[in-house]
Amino acid sequence: MYQYTDFDRRFVHQRAAQFRDQLERNLAGKLGDDEFRPLRLQNGWYVQRHAPMLRVAVPYGEIHARQLRQLARIAREYDRGYGHFTTRQNLQFNWIPLVQSADVMDLLAQVDMHGIQTSGNCIRNITSDALAGIAADELIDPRPYCEVLRQWSTLHPEFAFLPRKFKIAVTGAAEDRAAIAWHDIGLHLRQNAQGEVGFEVLVGGGMGRTPVIATRIREFLPWQQILVFIEAIVRVYNRYGRRDNLYKARIKILVKAEGQKFFDAVEEEFRHILNDDADGSAHLIPQAELDRVKASFVLPEGVAEAGAPAAAPANASGAFARWLQRNVHAHRLPGYRAVTLSLKRAGQAPGDVTAEQMESAAAIAERFSHGELRVTHDQNLLLPWVRESELAALWEAAKAATFATPNIGLVTDMIACPGGDFCGLANARSLPLAAELTERYADLDEVHDIGDIDLHISGCINSCGHHHSGHIGVLGVDKDGSEWYQLTIGGSDGSTLSGAAVPGKVIGPSFAADEVADAIEAVLDTYRAQRAANERFIDTVRRIGIEPFKGPANAVRRSTAHAA
Amino acid sequence: MKFIDTHKDRWHALGGEDGPPVSINAEPHLLLDTNQWHAARAQWPAGVPVGIKLGNDQDVEDIAADLPRFALVALHFPKWTDGRAYSQARLLRSRYRFQGEVRALGDVLVDMMPLLARTGFDAVVLRHDQSVDAAERALGFFPGHYQGDVGDNRPLFAKPAGTAQALAKAPSQEFVNAGASI
Repeated sequence: MYQYTDFDRRFVHQRAAQFRDQLERNLAGKLGDDEFRPLRLQNGWYVQRHAPMLRVAVPYGEIHARQLRQLARIAREYDRGYGHFTTRQNLQFNWIPLVQSADVMDLLAQVDMHGIQTSGNCIRNITSDALAGIAADELIDPRPYCEVLRQWSTLHPEFAFLPRKFKIAVTGAAEDRAAIAWHDIGLHLRQNAQGEVGFEVLVGGGMGRTPVIATRIREFLPWQQILVFIEAIVRVYNRYGRRDNLYKARIKILVKAEGQKFFDAVEEEFRHILNDDADGSAHLIPQAELDRVKASFVLPEGVAEAGAPAAAPANASGAFARWLQRNVHAHRLPGYRAVTLSLKRAGQAPGDVTAEQMESAAAIAERFSHGELRVTHDQNLLLPWVRESELAALWEAAKAATFATPNIGLVTDMIACPGGDFCGLANARSLPLAAELTERYADLDEVHDIGDIDLHISGCINSCGHHHSGHIGVLGVDKDGSEWYQLTIGGSDGSTLSGAAVPGKVIGPSFAADEVADAIEAVLDTYRAQRAANERFIDTVRRIGIEPFKGPANAVRRSTAHAA
Repeated sequence: MKFIDTHKDRWHALGGEDGPPVSINAEPHLLLDTNQWHAARAQWPAGVPVGIKLGNDQDVEDIAADLPRFALVALHFPKWTDGRAYSQARLLRSRYRFQGEVRALGDVLVDMMPLLARTGFDAVVLRHDQSVDAAERALGFFPGHYQGDVGDNRPLFAKPAGTAQALAKAPSQEFVNAGASI
């Protein structure tokens, strides 16, 4: 993973010092709460339902055991003993008193961590493929580009107060595991016919109240120009994005409203920067800089580019075979595998980890993966450097630490935001529904029979649980002070399995809280009754449409029976 | 960064009635809005310093041709969290090579100082309740930055070898317990 330079370390340390200064002024009454708010947000501090929430940046999902142990310490000493991994590969704490926030930032800085731009109307922490640098289907490792982008966007003086938040996702594999079309900017590394590396650039995707799939603005942008091109996009957005209505302030609205005019404006701005500006070519990335950053992604000591001797476990059966099938993934190096530690299990919210579990995961990573882990977009942890020969031992260790549920990509591997239990924005709770479904689908035979499916739950229209992109999406809504849930079917994150990115379709009026799990079960039962041989849920939906699901879902209604 | 004391400032707005001006006398250090400037520009004598005030929804491009005639461009922050004027300042300096003063007006807070300085502002009128001492301190937290800015176009990676290492070791203040005292 990326090795911090002395400058990086110093920078994060000074950011913590700056935050402490702002906190002290706030506590002394010299910096009003309203004015402190945007400053703390840009360091990851929200004030939530019960206490401040801290969102810690995990840049493009890479995290080291040493860092995870420090997060465990923070969870234990400052929080209530746990944290929550998010769809944007970050980690959230829920219970840290604001007066201790500066101390926590110092502890984070000790292990090269921070909360810079994990919130606020700025360029957010950049996300990527959890298998970046190790995927068997990868063309170009996106991590060095992510790091160059991270550095460029960190405390960018012109773009700290945009109309709204701004999210960038990058992938370099054949398969899009980063849902790039759902981002403000989506970047897909490609090679052109001459073998040169560049980016396919998408712009204007986003979830929220108005789900929009990003549009391609460049088919192939030479990699050297990426900072300048993004500068052009963000400057046009900063100048002309709407600021009069929170719900119309994302770049997707500008792109939709202006259409070709937006693309023309970006291209013109791009030409102006390169041709007219004093700093025109200053941010073209030189080969030497890319090489320097690439070299700081050190292959862990002992991992050989040539790989390890292949040792595919022979005759695996039963639970171990299931785990190999679901939680173990192909690797670019022969003899190695990537392994997901499932954070989806009964008794805990999706993505939640206790301090003890963080330490267990750190110990497992040290023993089996050279201390390195990834946070995945679907709220699990992943070990990037596991030798095939150690899979059986890893399985035992993962089981002992509650990480071995063989459910990756299955119905219980659901994405869920923290919802109304924690979040000040939520209209409804998501965790009780996640718990109910986990309990209902405890039988692994049944879960495996249902097969590949993306179930995504958001507690409100802000869509942190990515309900729009779920094959089954659940959206919490508030009507007259009670919790209701809208069901959508057929959404896609843009992966091969799910098809081109598209928001799901609503199958009827909202369900009451005590109906929604039954409705989901009815949808799944309908699929199992209607599916062709070996047909996945999403393919059945595409073949038969959403109509056949409506009747069975409506049949479970009790209090809402009159509405349907 | 120059902190403007409005009581001692030479620059002043055009007095009198609101609405389109009938006639404008070319006196030194008038700060005009774009309507006023358009009414006066044909007769404005060279050598009489004049400034222009831009709303943050106005395009810098529209005054680009006249920029050499201005000694001052004042940009406005209606709310401090509205970041449009940063782009305006950056365009004035980097694209149009404006050499005069770029001044921040409106809801200008001490914590904006690093952003203002790095996008090309060289003067500010702080909001009445803000402290100049705190604003000066706010400029001093970071030994360097990753991306280039108006002050130094080069990003860290384009600076001479050893720069990042030297910056990492450069002395800086910790400011602990200082924020509350000023």
